[in-house]
Amino acid sequence: MEKTLAKKEFVIWTALLVAVSSVLAFTGGYMVSAVLTEDEAGILLVDDYGRTIKLDKIPERIVSAAPTPTEILFAVGAGDLVVGVDDYSDYPAEVSNITKVGSYTLSTEVIISLQPDLVVSSDLVPISQLELLEDRGIPFVVLATRTLDDVLKDIRLVGILTGHVEEANDLADSLEERIDAVTEKTMAEDVVKPRVYLEYYPYWTYGPGSFGNDLIALAGGMNIAENTTSEYPMLSSEFIIAQDPEIIVYTIGYMTTTTAEEISSRSGWSGITAVVSGDIYSMDDNLVSRYGPRIVDGLEELASLLHPDLFA
Amino acid sequence: MRLSVSNLSFSFGDSKVLRDISFDVANGEFLGLMGPNGSGKTTLLRCLTRYLPDGAHAILVDMKPLHTFTDREVARTFAVVPQSSSTDFPFTVKDIVMMGRIPHVHSRLATSRKGDAEAVSDAMSASGCAHLEDRPFSELSGGERQRVIIARALAQEPKVLLLDEPTVYLDISGQLEMMDLITKLNKEKSLTVVAVLHDINLAARYCDRIALLNQGRLEAIGPPENVLNSETILGVYGVDVAVRRDPFTHNVFVMPRSTCAPARKDGVRVHILCGGGSGGPAMRSLVENGFSISVGVLNVLDSDHECATDLRVRIVAEVPFAQISDDMHAENLRCIDETPLVVVTPFPVGPGNFKNLEAAMYALNAGKKVFIMAGGSTSGIDFVGGKADAYLSNLIASGAVKVDSVDHMLQLLAHEGAVKR
Amino acid sequence: MFIGLLVVLLLVSAFLAILVGTLGPIGPGDPERISFSDALDAILGLKSDHPAYYSSVFWDVRIPRVLLAGLVGASLACAGTAMQAIFRNSMADPFIIGVSSGAAVGAASAGLIGLTVVVGAFTAPMLAFACALVTVFVVYKMGTVRGKVYVDTLLLSGVAIAAFLGAVVSFLIYFAREDYHQLIPWLLGSLAVAKWSYVWILVVPVALGSFLISLYGRELNALLLGEETAHNLGADPEFLKKVMLATAALVTAGAVAFTGIIGFVGLIVPHMMRILVGADHRVLVPAATLFGASFLIWADALSRTLIPAQELPVGIITALCGGPFFLYLLRKNRTGGMMS
Repeated sequence: MEKTLAKKEFVIWTALLVAVSSVLAFTGGYMVSAVLTEDEAGILLVDDYGRTIKLDKIPERIVSAAPTPTEILFAVGAGDLVVGVDDYSDYPAEVSNITKVGSYTLSTEVIISLQPDLVVSSDLVPISQLELLEDRGIPFVVLATRTLDDVLKDIRLVGILTGHVEEANDLADSLEERIDAVTEKTMAEDVVKPRVYLEYYPYWTYGPGSFGNDLIALAGGMNIAENTTSEYPMLSSEFIIAQDPEIIVYTIGYMTTTTAEEISSRSGWSGITAVVSGDIYSMDDNLVSRYGPRIVDGLEELASLLHPDLFA
Repeated sequence: MRLSVSNLSFSFGDSKVLRDISFDVANGEFLGLMGPNGSGKTTLLRCLTRYLPDGAHAILVDMKPLHTFTDREVARTFAVVPQSSSTDFPFTVKDIVMMGRIPHVHSRLATSRKGDAEAVSDAMSASGCAHLEDRPFSELSGGERQRVIIARALAQEPKVLLLDEPTVYLDISGQLEMMDLITKLNKEKSLTVVAVLHDINLAARYCDRIALLNQGRLEAIGPPENVLNSETILGVYGVDVAVRRDPFTHNVFVMPRSTCAPARKDGVRVHILCGGGSGGPAMRSLVENGFSISVGVLNVLDSDHECATDLRVRIVAEVPFAQISDDMHAENLRCIDETPLVVVTPFPVGPGNFKNLEAAMYALNAGKKVFIMAGGSTSGIDFVGGKADAYLSNLIASGAVKVDSVDHMLQLLAHEGAVKR
Repeated sequence: MFIGLLVVLLLVSAFLAILVGTLGPIGPGDPERISFSDALDAILGLKSDHPAYYSSVFWDVRIPRVLLAGLVGASLACAGTAMQAIFRNSMADPFIIGVSSGAAVGAASAGLIGLTVVVGAFTAPMLAFACALVTVFVVYKMGTVRGKVYVDTLLLSGVAIAAFLGAVVSFLIYFAREDYHQLIPWLLGSLAVAKWSYVWILVVPVALGSFLISLYGRELNALLLGEETAHNLGADPEFLKKVMLATAALVTAGAVAFTGIIGFVGLIVPHMMRILVGADHRVLVPAATLFGASFLIWADALSRTLIPAQELPVGIITALCGGPFFLYLLRKNRTGGMMS
C-alpha cells in the first residue's frame, strides 16, 4: 500500500494527471478526479470517469446521487448547499430533511425541479441516468473511489468544488493523520498479522482490488481471500476452513441476517481458530462500504479488532 | 353378467342430457348405441363407466348398483375403447397394454406379477397386435393404435367392452377390420359389447340389437331390422333414407335418398316416359324445380320404379318383367292427357316397352309439348332392330324437341314463357 | 437391470464427489492439496499425521453437501417427472405450480425483514418453505373448480402467479439493491450452505415423497393418456392429481427452501431418463430419482471447483451442462415427429 500523498505532491500529481487524463479518457479506465484550474472564470476539472467538467462558478445548489458524496459534502461543511440526496443517504442525520431524488433510478423530474447547478454522484449510479440531466444543462461529477487515497483526494476535490477548500483540506489532513496513526502501529516490523476473514454476506468476502482488502491490509491483517480471482468472491467453505482465519469480522447491513452464533454453527467451522477463540466480530457495513470520511472510522475499528493490544 | 339400466336421467347443470333411459344388456350381446350428435350416447357411456358418477344408482351390474363399486371394480367391469388415443410420451405398445392391468394390481410394491404378463400377451394376441409389442405407440397407424387399445381393454379382463365410435378415424378397410375384430371377441370370448356407432350400416351389419337415442331419450331398441326403418330414421336424424337388405347377408342397410324436398302436388305437371334407370336424374331434377311429376310405364323392380317410389310420385306400373299391358298403356295415356309436358328419357327400348314411344306420339298428336332427352346416341339401347331410332327421328320430325338435359329443357320453356311455376 | 446401474452410478458419484473440492485430492489444490491417502484416512477416521481440519473438510463440509445435493437432485427430478405426467406436458418442471416463485418471495423477504436475529438460522428456509406452500395452494385453488383439478387452468395460473411473484421478487431486490447480490446464490441455487441438519431435515420427506410417487407409476402412465382413460383404467385421476401435486410441492419446497432455485434438473433429468428407459413410470420414476441425485452431485462438484477457492451457483452449472447435453440427447434420439 502506498503512503498517502503529501500536500505539495498533490500539485505535481495533478499536473501529471492532466497529461494522462486525455489519453485515459478514451480507454474507459477509471480516472482519479482532479481540479485543472480554479479562478474567477470558474472551475475546470476531470472527474473519476475522466470527464472534463467546466463550472462557471461555485455551485449553490447541489444534488448528491449517492451516500458517499453526501457524506463527503456534509463533512467538508457544504451541507447547506445540498438540496437533494438519493434515497440511501442517511448520514449525517440532517439529510433526513432533504428532498429525496431516487437512487439507481434517479427521478429526473424531481432533480430538475430542485434546479441544482451540480449533481455529485458515485459510480454506483448508471451514467445514462446522469447524462439525462446533463442534456438538460445540469452538470455532474462522478466520484469513483477505489482506494483510501482516493477518499482523501475526493474530499479535497469536493472542497474546491463547493468553495470549502479550507475545511476540506483540514478534514483530509486530519483523516490522513488518523490513518497514519493506525498504519504506524499496524505496519510496524514486529506486528504479527492475523489471518482475517471479512464477510459481508455468508461466504461472500472482499477479494483483491476491493476496498475491504485494502482496509484489512492497512489494519494489519492478512486477508484470506487476497489471492482469489475476483473482487467480491463467494468462497468455498472448505477453502475458509483450510485458510483457518484467526479473526472473523462480519458486517451488518441492510439485509444481513448473520450472527456470530450462525457463523460458529456453520458445518465444519467449529475447528477454525477464530471460532474456537471466539474472535468473531461485527461491524457496521456503512463503515466499510461508504467511501467517505467514515471509512477511517472503519479502519480504526477494524484495526482495534485485529490488534486490541495496540489500540488499547 | 347382466347389465341393466333403469330410469337413468342425467343433467349438466340445467340441461337434461339423458331422460329416463331404461334397457338391459344380456351376457354376450352386441348392442349398438346410435343417435344423432348430442343425443346423449357418449354421456350414457360415461355414466356406465362412472366417469360421470351421478347416474350410477340407476345402473345395475349383476343386480348390484354401480355406485357401490370401487373404481377398480368398475374398471374390471367395463373397459373402454375411445375414438382415438394419442400421447406425446414414448410409451411402447406393451406399456400401453400393461395399463389395462391397473385394476388387477393387488400390491403397489410388486412392480409386475406373472399373471399380468400373461394377460397382456394374451390380450395382444387376441387383438392381433403381438407383433407390435416393442414399437412406440405414437408411431403406429390409427388402425394399429385401436388394436392396441382393444388389447389394453382385454387386459382389463372386463365383463363389458364399451366402444365409443371406435372406427371414426379409420379408413373403410380399417373400419371393417376393427368391427370384425370386435365381433370375433364378442362371439369367441362371449364378451358383452356396447358400442356407440355412427355408421348405421356398420351398426346394422354387426349389432345384435340397436338402441336409438334422440335428445336424451331412448327412441327405440331392438334388432336392427326393427329399429332401422325409414320412418324412425327420418324422425331421429331428419334424413330420408331407403332401407334395403344386403343381397348376400340379408342385413338391412340404408341409403340416403335424394335430399330434395318431397314432390309437390300443385306444381306444373310433367309426365315422364322412362325405364331401365334412365329416368332418375330427370325425375329428381324436375322435382327439385317444383314440377309435379308422374312416370310410366315402369316395371316393378326397375330401378326407375324404385326412384319414383322414393320420390312418392304417381307411377304407372306394370308387373315385373312383363310387357306393357293394354290397361297400363291406357293408364299411361290418361296421365299424358292431364299434363301439358311430356319428357322422354333415353330408356332402352325393347318389344315389351315400345308402347312408351307410342305414348310420346300420342302426346304430340294431342298437342302436348314433348321433349326428348339425349343420352348421347340412342344406338345401343335399341333392342328392336332400329325401329326405335326410326321412331325417335319420326317424333322429332313431328315436333318433339330434342334437349341435352333438364336444364336445357327448362331454358327453352322459360324462353317461350310457356311454363309458369 | 438399468435401475441397478443407476444405483451403482449414484454410489460411485457420491464417493468420487466427496474427493472433489478446492483442496483436492481431485480439484485445483488451492491453497494446498490433500493427498488421496490423507483423504481416505480422514474419511475413514483413521489416525494419521494429517492436519486436524481434514476431517472437518470431509465430514462437515463435503459429505453433508454431497448428501444434500443427492437429496435435492432426487427430489427435483422425481417431482419433475410427476409434474410432467400430471400436466401431460414434457415442458413442465417441479416449479410449474409456483414453488420457486413463492419460495423466492419468502427468501427475499426473510432478508428484508431481518427475522433471523429473532427466530434463528432457519428463518429463511422456513419462510421460503411456507411461502412456497402458500403459493402452491393459491395456484391449486385457481386451477380447481368444485373439487376438480383442471390442469390447463392450473398451468396457466402457475405461469401467471409465477410472473406476478417474479415481479414481487424483482421489487424486493430493487428495493434492497445495495444487497441484491446476496440473493443471487439463492436465486441461482447453491449448495454452499449445506450442513448435516439440512440433510436430516430433508432425508425423510424426500425419501417418502419419492417412494410415494414411484408407487403410483402405473397410474401416472394411465394419466398420460388422458384423465378419462385413467378413470376408465381404475386410476382415480382426481385423487392422483392431488396426491402427486401435494407430494411434489412438498419435496420441492423443502429442497428449494435450503438451497434456492436449482433449475433444469427437474426438467431435463426426466427427459434424459425417458430417452433411456422409456415412458413407463414404474421404471421412469425411480430412474429419474436416482439419476437426478447423481446429476446434481456432479453439477455441485463442478460448481465448487471450476474457480479455485470460490463457489459458483450450482444452477449455472445445471443449466450450462444440462442444456447442451439435453439437446444432444434430443438430436440423437429424435427420429422426426414426436419424442420417441
